[in-house]
Amino acid sequence: MGYYLRKLAFYLTALWAAVTLNFVIPRMLPGNPVDILMAKLQQRGGSVDPAARTAYETLLGTGGRESFAEEYFAYLGNLLRGELGVSVSAFPAKVSDVIGDALPWTVVLVGLATLLSFLLGVGLGAVVGWKRGTWLDALVPATTVLSAVPYFWLALILVALLSSGLGWFPLNGGYDVVLDPGWSPEFIGSAIYHGTLPALTIVISSIGGWLLGMRNMMVSAMSEDYVLTARAKGLTDSRTMIRYAARNAVLPSVAGFATSLGFVVSGSIVTEQVFSYPGIGSKLLQAVQNNDYALMQGIFLVITIAVLGANLVVDLLYGLIDARTRDRSTVS
Amino acid sequence: MIRSGKLATGLGLAGLIVLFGLVGPLLTGDPATIRDVGLTPPGGEHLLGTTLTGQDVLAQLAHATRGSLWIGVLVGVMATVLSGVFGIVGAYAGGIVDEVFSLFSNVMLVIPGLPLVIVVAGFVPADQRGTWTIALVLAITGWAAAARVLRAQTLSLRNRDYVAAARVSGERTWRVICVEILPNLLPILASQFVFAVVLAILSEAGLSFLGLGAANSSTLGTMLYYAQNGFALQREAWWWFVPPGLVIALFGGALVLINFSIDEIINPRLRDRARRGRDVVAVEAEIAPVDDDAVLTVRNLNVVYQAATPVHAVKDVSLTLRRGEILGLAGESGCGKTTLAYAINRLHRPPAEVTSGSVVFHNGADVDVLALEPEELRQFRWAQLSMVFQGAMNSLNPVTPIRAQLQDVLRTHRPSMPAAQREERCAEVLRLVGVDPARLGSYPHELSGGMRQRVMIAMALLLDPQVMIMDEPTTALDVLVQREILNEISRLRDELRFAVIFITHDLPLLLELSDRIAVMRDGEVVEYATAEDVYLRPQHPYTRQLLASFPSLTGERGALIT
Repeated sequence: MGYYLRKLAFYLTALWAAVTLNFVIPRMLPGNPVDILMAKLQQRGGSVDPAARTAYETLLGTGGRESFAEEYFAYLGNLLRGELGVSVSAFPAKVSDVIGDALPWTVVLVGLATLLSFLLGVGLGAVVGWKRGTWLDALVPATTVLSAVPYFWLALILVALLSSGLGWFPLNGGYDVVLDPGWSPEFIGSAIYHGTLPALTIVISSIGGWLLGMRNMMVSAMSEDYVLTARAKGLTDSRTMIRYAARNAVLPSVAGFATSLGFVVSGSIVTEQVFSYPGIGSKLLQAVQNNDYALMQGIFLVITIAVLGANLVVDLLYGLIDARTRDRSTVS
Repeated sequence: MIRSGKLATGLGLAGLIVLFGLVGPLLTGDPATIRDVGLTPPGGEHLLGTTLTGQDVLAQLAHATRGSLWIGVLVGVMATVLSGVFGIVGAYAGGIVDEVFSLFSNVMLVIPGLPLVIVVAGFVPADQRGTWTIALVLAITGWAAAARVLRAQTLSLRNRDYVAAARVSGERTWRVICVEILPNLLPILASQFVFAVVLAILSEAGLSFLGLGAANSSTLGTMLYYAQNGFALQREAWWWFVPPGLVIALFGGALVLINFSIDEIINPRLRDRARRGRDVVAVEAEIAPVDDDAVLTVRNLNVVYQAATPVHAVKDVSLTLRRGEILGLAGESGCGKTTLAYAINRLHRPPAEVTSGSVVFHNGADVDVLALEPEELRQFRWAQLSMVFQGAMNSLNPVTPIRAQLQDVLRTHRPSMPAAQREERCAEVLRLVGVDPARLGSYPHELSGGMRQRVMIAMALLLDPQVMIMDEPTTALDVLVQREILNEISRLRDELRFAVIFITHDLPLLLELSDRIAVMRDGEVVEYATAEDVYLRPQHPYTRQLLASFPSLTGERGALIT
């Protein structure tokens, strides 16, 4: 149980750090976000009563009336109640509603693309490592160089070639706008059609990292004694490769999920911008461009919580696939 | 040092791009000059064409490359310093400092970088967003992964003897870190620096593309931003959009190649190696067994490690193993005894090669082991000849329970066996070696060293093989457990009548255990006789020397095995 408790404690700490960071950043940096927000709000015909101002001050600071600690606890209280304020760029929608609408798009697109990339990369990496010394070795530098290519540049060129040029994919958007969002087969089909190219660019740019990591661990695992034992036992090649070498080699890739997920999320923000995808990344940029600080903060918080949550799940999974970690007494 | 084409290509390409960034801006004109030759295709006066407003793309590219490289280097240096401070210093200091630093790195690692950068960039007004601000933010969000790796490395280094010696002799902390630890971390630091530079250039390009880059700066990212906003691709002005991305891709690719080479320096196992097509070069014609009772005959076996200077590890070895016999193979480490044992089962790894000789297994019909096809060899292994390796700690798969590793053998060699019978057979062999069958669900790390070795012996018994090769099966165990296991082996041999090749450097132990003994030296068998003859009438001076080096032998026999 110790393992799971420690992991939970760590992620609570990380969550607290992210929440606090979110509180501190607007207070530390130059500029007066509350004044800008109030001006924007006025432009949009919103209420300029003191209550709205106080709410933004709790969120962003620079109020000067309350003490720092009071503000901090009021902010935490608001978060717990799910009150993230009112968005000015999508006025009069609440920040939580704006995020709620955009989140499923990103979760499905990034989630599926990441999973696909991980499975493909790890699978190919295992085979490349196992068949070391054959032509497959060329896959390693090839895919790794692909991950050094800027995401958006590759995505735009693919759009120019495959969408504008050949007309295989739609230019942008998350679905055909003539359809009503819902669970109808047409709409889901359209969403899949629109999501294919963005997902493809994410897979192309991120697969190299998985492949390289897995291949290197595979090469190390193959010289371990338990693989030699498996060969001496007369097991079939595929069984030795999967149950002995790959089963052990995959562990660091799973553990390294934390590092990569951050990159994938970052990349997807840019990808969403390229494809005008109705996800959380384009909302974040929309917020930045409109100085919609409340929405910015809310989205950063949600992205962080999503990444932390995904990592927690992966860590719990890791405890299942490697019994040793559960029994280890020290924090690694 | 340049051992591969990868490093040469990587260095060459990166060097060219750096040179272009340094010298290019001096040779090309002012990148901002506006002319009335908008969107001219490449050629003539403008080698890479012009932008929408008639600016020279080549001039822009040169300045932008310089800007991107500058950001990359800034961030690379800052991120490496940060990761060094949090990774190396924390791990070296240990205790609460390490806990706090490590927690901090881990928290920074899981907080997604670019969203944070975007939020920070969003709060800073555009006119206050300079190159240094962007570089600082990128460095702060980009050091954590490297710190974690450095911490792990430093933890292992600080426990090495020479570091401990330096600390005990009272050297100052910073001196120990700089002189004893840092040089060992250099390849890793270099690799991380390279990675940080690539990441910074990519991240900056992404930020600039989103319109959140440094104000008044000229980088490849801002160039792409302007190209995109000028609808370069829609106007089919590829010469405006493609080159900046290509420079980033080529530079990134070059650094990746350099990183590959650094990785191969850190971990020599990763180096490219040609796949070995064969493990046996020459197979000699069948020779009828001299001994009717023989179960395994090895004739004139030669094994060579095909390195730059080939090493002849096993020279003309001939041995005969009789049914139910324990044949001891003695010799100091490096004498070729393990190579011989592996070659008998064709488990030797490249670059080792059997160059000549024969290995024949007699079980009804004669089986020429060196001539077996891969599938025949796979079926032969373990069913006829099983092995117990040195150090059971590493011979068992650490991530699956004992049950799966025992059942694996039955699943593969006896596919038709029902599940219940499989389970029963696994329990039976565990009982044979004195391990409670309840331990079937245990993972290797939950068992003691002696128990793990017993499990390995149980595994070797699963298919009732004729021959078992044991390579120093008891070396890593304490004396008491060692004796228990040796007794166990003797008893099992008497019960089940399999033959054993027992490999060890411990000659007195072999004198107790084995029927016959072969003494190996430098790949050759120098003495091959019954245990009694070896003890009482050693022929070769080396054997006499070995015997003399065990003073306890002058005492009474039978002390080891009761």
